[in-house]
Amino acid sequence: MSEATCSACGQQASVKSLFDLNGQTYCQPCVRTASESARRSGQPSIYMPLISRSICARCNTFIGSDSGGLQIGGARFCSNCAPLIKDWDYPVWLKASLAFLLLLLAVALVHGRKYFHAGRAMYIGERLVQQGKYAEALPQLKETLTIAPGSDKASLLAAKAALMIGDVASADKALHDHDDGHYEDGQNAQFLEVNALWDRANQAFEKASQAAKLAQQDGNSAEAAKLMHVAASLYPQRPDFAFAAESLDGGAAFERRDFDSFLAISNKQWKEEPDSDTAAQLASAFACKFALTGTIDSRQRAEEMLDKARQLAQSDPETLKSIEEYAPRIQYRLDSRKIITKTEYDRLFRSRKSSAK
Amino acid sequence: MFFIPGPVIAALTFPGVIIHEAGHLFFCRLFKLHVFNVCFFRFGNPAGFVVHEQSEDFTAQFFVSMGPFFANTLLCIIFCSAAFLPVWELKIYDPLAYFFYWLGLSIGMHAFPSTQDLSHLWEKAPALAKKGNPLAVLSLPLAGLLVVANYARVVWADLGYGILVGVLGPIAIFKALAH
Repeated sequence: MSEATCSACGQQASVKSLFDLNGQTYCQPCVRTASESARRSGQPSIYMPLISRSICARCNTFIGSDSGGLQIGGARFCSNCAPLIKDWDYPVWLKASLAFLLLLLAVALVHGRKYFHAGRAMYIGERLVQQGKYAEALPQLKETLTIAPGSDKASLLAAKAALMIGDVASADKALHDHDDGHYEDGQNAQFLEVNALWDRANQAFEKASQAAKLAQQDGNSAEAAKLMHVAASLYPQRPDFAFAAESLDGGAAFERRDFDSFLAISNKQWKEEPDSDTAAQLASAFACKFALTGTIDSRQRAEEMLDKARQLAQSDPETLKSIEEYAPRIQYRLDSRKIITKTEYDRLFRSRKSSAK
Repeated sequence: MFFIPGPVIAALTFPGVIIHEAGHLFFCRLFKLHVFNVCFFRFGNPAGFVVHEQSEDFTAQFFVSMGPFFANTLLCIIFCSAAFLPVWELKIYDPLAYFFYWLGLSIGMHAFPSTQDLSHLWEKAPALAKKGNPLAVLSLPLAGLLVVANYARVVWADLGYGILVGVLGPIAIFKALAH
């Protein structure tokens, strides 16, 4: 059993029977006198059993008269625990783990630069799509897809932006490069919106393709125009459908021999989009006008437009070939003042040539 | 609602426990409070603790009690941000990103201060709030909410908070950066 010495009488006694008063140890008889004396001199006079003041509150070691300890309220701490309590340091493993984590975070940030770049482009693209700036959004979203083709959000946004500007090829790429067109959530509002747009665009292309086939045959321009108008209304984001429908309206006017309408439409189309095709069509319309009225001005305009069509087709051999097929028919109309269809012209002149060959 | 014993959750998300206790220790050291004992992690309840001297200074008490809440929330956002884009938005399989997401969510899950931490604030805050102490004014509704959130841990409020912070935080950051 631990013993200690009374600071007043010097007697040794069990720690259990001793008391503490202002840091001094007293036996039971002496502590009363010391307390009275402390009270008279204005010092704290409350004493308590030594046992509760002589055990370290942290490690339970006997403190005794250890002067290096620490007292906080009613608790005392030994000289070993005191420095720890005053300044509890972080353990080495904690510091090392934190350093490792920070290093890993730095690695992740460097490694993830491409993700941040792709993510930033996607958010910019998303904002532009929300603002209806689809043409500006598409390059941003394409940039995201080069790094993350599997991103549902980026591919749907890119497909939407592309479809909204009539760029079906980019929409097709964005959708089909994404896990072959499979998406996690087939009921997602964004997916459903893009899916509906995609379906409408495909239907429109189908109608346009049917219209183009019909237009190649004489006498079907009205039906072709009707189909092309359906395509244009299904997919208004493709202005070329509406333009082609108007051009076919011109063809239909020619077929019903409404040459004034044919000329008006051809003139409008040439003004809207001056290229070899519209120039050739306007040449055809002026040739019709000349055939009907015989006015020199119409003939001159037809010849001018035919020259213009040839000039504009110079850079494209395919278009030039088509103009060279068209030009003799217009010239025949100007020379003969007869308005005949391609089939009739071919029957009269071209089949004979081929049989002669 | 399925039940998973607390020690199992704590073990699966042990980095959060360690960071939470390190936060308490950091603020004790900052305000020069005596620390009697620290346990960063153990298989028990609580999974970690810091036994420290109670301060009469409300600012010290506020930061020692609430500091880990702010620190864990901030670290959750940082670590989840490092992983958010590849995991959530870009759908790229990157093991490092998944590791950071686990780390971030673990830290976010252990953000809530314990009811005991909050009780010290709750005792002093009303009187100081009446005197216009801004920290006391802030701590009243915050501590109230956190007490409720602490009880809601049985319905996974801590995990919900981690996910909320770990998803909404990075979204807010990246959308702001995109502007």
